[in-house]
Amino acid sequence: MLSSAARKRASAEDRLDAVFHALGDRTRRALLASLASRPARITELARPFDMSLPAVSRHIRVLESAGLIARSVDGRVHQCSLAAAPMKTAEAWLDRYRRFWEGSLDALARLVEAQGEQHDADRRARHGR
Amino acid sequence: MAADTPESGAPAATLTLIVRRTIRASAARLFEAWTQPAQLKQWWGPNSVECVDAQVDLRVGGRYRIANRFPDGKILWIAGQFEVIEAPDKLVYTWALEPPSGLPERVTVRFVAQGRATEVIVTHEGIGSAPVRDRHELGWRGCLDGLASYLHDDSQPG
Repeated sequence: MLSSAARKRASAEDRLDAVFHALGDRTRRALLASLASRPARITELARPFDMSLPAVSRHIRVLESAGLIARSVDGRVHQCSLAAAPMKTAEAWLDRYRRFWEGSLDALARLVEAQGEQHDADRRARHGR
Repeated sequence: MAADTPESGAPAATLTLIVRRTIRASAARLFEAWTQPAQLKQWWGPNSVECVDAQVDLRVGGRYRIANRFPDGKILWIAGQFEVIEAPDKLVYTWALEPPSGLPERVTVRFVAQGRATEVIVTHEGIGSAPVRDRHELGWRGCLDGLASYLHDDSQPG
């Protein structure tokens, strides 16, 4: 049985997989880039691309399922906007950075504190103690 | 209609990380460990990362490059340029993965004396700027190749 921490980690990993899968495609990155400036309708989003509306819609569904964009429906008009999820991804990244820096600072402390103790010991030895 | 969501305006804001650690050593000693390649190589990176090469041109406008070897043997270079050098109190430098994609991040390191110890304060700003703002080639892939093993390695224990 999974602990709740393990479950949480697994689902976070799944989300990251979905996000990175979604981002691993040029068209989808371009769609996100155009949404970064403002929300847009699917037809507007599709315009710069040399592909059918259903093809663009499929890309949008991938982005949507990764939580990268949100869709609001007003009658028959579907409007897409960049979702807060990239921030969550960014937070996941932030966590990696945190571990990187904390791990580094631990190692730095081990290095210089050990040297400090050695230095103190040498000094004590020199002073015949 | 609900209140405006943040995403209706500017691209998502970038993130800032602050990490602090008090270490029993002088600021001068820490500044030296931080900026001399031979010493940097000894401590840089968490346990899963080995620093196999470090080059530091310690002057404003000078560059540094640090090679990070991950458990699968892949090497990821981190590089940047010094913007502020105030020995032994403060360092500011840009930070980017090589090859660079998007805007560089920025790291500020402060060494604050506290009696016989020193508090090291690392402020890492602009995280997320590359993927969010680069309209052409969002820099995810390059970063991922190198970091994936680290993420992976890191998620195993516990």
